[in-house]
Amino acid sequence: MMSTPVAPFSYLSTLWVQVTGTWCNLQCVHCINASGPKNPWLRRLDTEMVKRAIREAETFGVKEIYFTGGEPFLHEDILELLAFALQVAPTTILTNGTMINGTMADALASLTRQTPYSLEIRVSVDDIDPEQNDRIRGKGAWAKALRAIQLLHARGLLPILTATEISHTSPSGEGGLYTRFRDFLLSLGIDKPRVKIIPIFPIGRMAGEGGSLLTEEVLRGFDFSLLQCSETRVVADGGIYACPILAGLEEARLAEESLQDSFKPCRLYHPACVTCYQTGMTCKNF
Amino acid sequence: MQATKEYRRIAVFGGIYNNALALEATLEDACKRDVEAVFCLGDMGGFGPHPDRVFPLLKAARVLAIQGNYDESLALGKGDCGCGYTDPRDNFFARVSYEYTFRKTSLGNKAWLGRLPKQRRIRLGSLQVLMCHGSPRTINEFLWESSTPNGLVQKFLRDGGMDVILCTHTGMKWQRRLPEGKHLVNVGVIGRPENDGQTNVWYTILTAGDDLQVEFVPVHYDHERLALEMEQEGLPPEFIATIRTGWWTTCMEILPAKERGRGRY
Repeated sequence: MMSTPVAPFSYLSTLWVQVTGTWCNLQCVHCINASGPKNPWLRRLDTEMVKRAIREAETFGVKEIYFTGGEPFLHEDILELLAFALQVAPTTILTNGTMINGTMADALASLTRQTPYSLEIRVSVDDIDPEQNDRIRGKGAWAKALRAIQLLHARGLLPILTATEISHTSPSGEGGLYTRFRDFLLSLGIDKPRVKIIPIFPIGRMAGEGGSLLTEEVLRGFDFSLLQCSETRVVADGGIYACPILAGLEEARLAEESLQDSFKPCRLYHPACVTCYQTGMTCKNF
Repeated sequence: MQATKEYRRIAVFGGIYNNALALEATLEDACKRDVEAVFCLGDMGGFGPHPDRVFPLLKAARVLAIQGNYDESLALGKGDCGCGYTDPRDNFFARVSYEYTFRKTSLGNKAWLGRLPKQRRIRLGSLQVLMCHGSPRTINEFLWESSTPNGLVQKFLRDGGMDVILCTHTGMKWQRRLPEGKHLVNVGVIGRPENDGQTNVWYTILTAGDDLQVEFVPVHYDHERLALEMEQEGLPPEFIATIRTGWWTTCMEILPAKERGRGRY
């Protein structure tokens, strides 16, 4: 029987905070952690607990902080937490954009003036066509996301449009999606288009039955620094986890409270680990 | 702590990117600045024309160099520059640049690149200085001003027992002063402008003292002649536009928001 391979831990470069658990105001059909508005299976995090984790990460020389969920802007203290994080490290927030209006965009712009570090805002859009997008992300999602992108760009905040490959049906390869979204943003007058494309993972609402797994044999001689779980840890409901895709899953939990306790190898046990390995993707911006 | 050579005043520059004209101008300028040595933090190739023109200049001036990711890739015969782009447009331009440099760099010069140390340690007065290409831990790690937390700099200094870290790789100069006389200085590059709409490039002079003196020096060179050489070599118009205008046009996915915001594209 093949044993489950492990990824060694090298150093903490990236801290993810799943600040609203799986609580989201949308319910996208492909969501990796099945987030939604009702009965989120992972709870939101307490503000003071998040600050403690960020302070601990700082002592280890963390390089980047990411806020995710669910929808992070649902957290009542999100601006306070972003401001706190931005005093420690460059910070990214992943959002569906539905809660970014002019007032919120102004507040985010103000944060960037109070820190030497960059604030990155990832806005999820899955198609340039509103109908196709909303079939995946819900009615009205596209219009609100595009409004957010426009408002942020107008304030020099340079959002990163983040799309999954769910609508990619042609065999032309990844290049097609980058070009498609980049040209679309340029056509809207977004003169500094930034795009990130993410593969579909067999997890959450896209979990299948079975699925292939990684083996020690397959990973022999592999450079584990290519896997984000060698330098990333996630603070989420229930403890510290190996990566944002597996956050909340029992087998991916590495520690209960202390970040330092999570600095140990993690098991590459899930079919989603195959996707990471095959695509070389990272959940980070770059 | 192993014995390291002590200097009072040095010149340090980053990526040359095949820009022999800027290199010549930089060395000429450094000669007039009363420096004891000239250091290069790696990435001799990429982007510009005629890679082999760089090496005789470096050797004649006895420049003390370290290996950048580009140099490492060329020496090992790797298929790409090791910058790690994911955007296919960025990858396309990175590949064009790398394949040109690979094809036009002699075997002898590739071997020379392979023999370069990855890092150097010196002293500037009483300060322990580490020279690296990307970061102290990884040759191709980007340390931008807006993406390098103070906590990380302190960790690097602590882990290495250093007072000063010098790096390049990003293409933009900056410096961070920390308490107790500690510094991180990204010395910038001389291969191409730093996305500021100016055609000059930059190098750095460091002088020992009670507090380290860091001076960023602009270098004006015949950029129009470089642009013509690049055209003659059939290099992409996007690269040539950068030389002529001072604005980056490609491989910008890795720019953080603040740095991307200051550019034109």
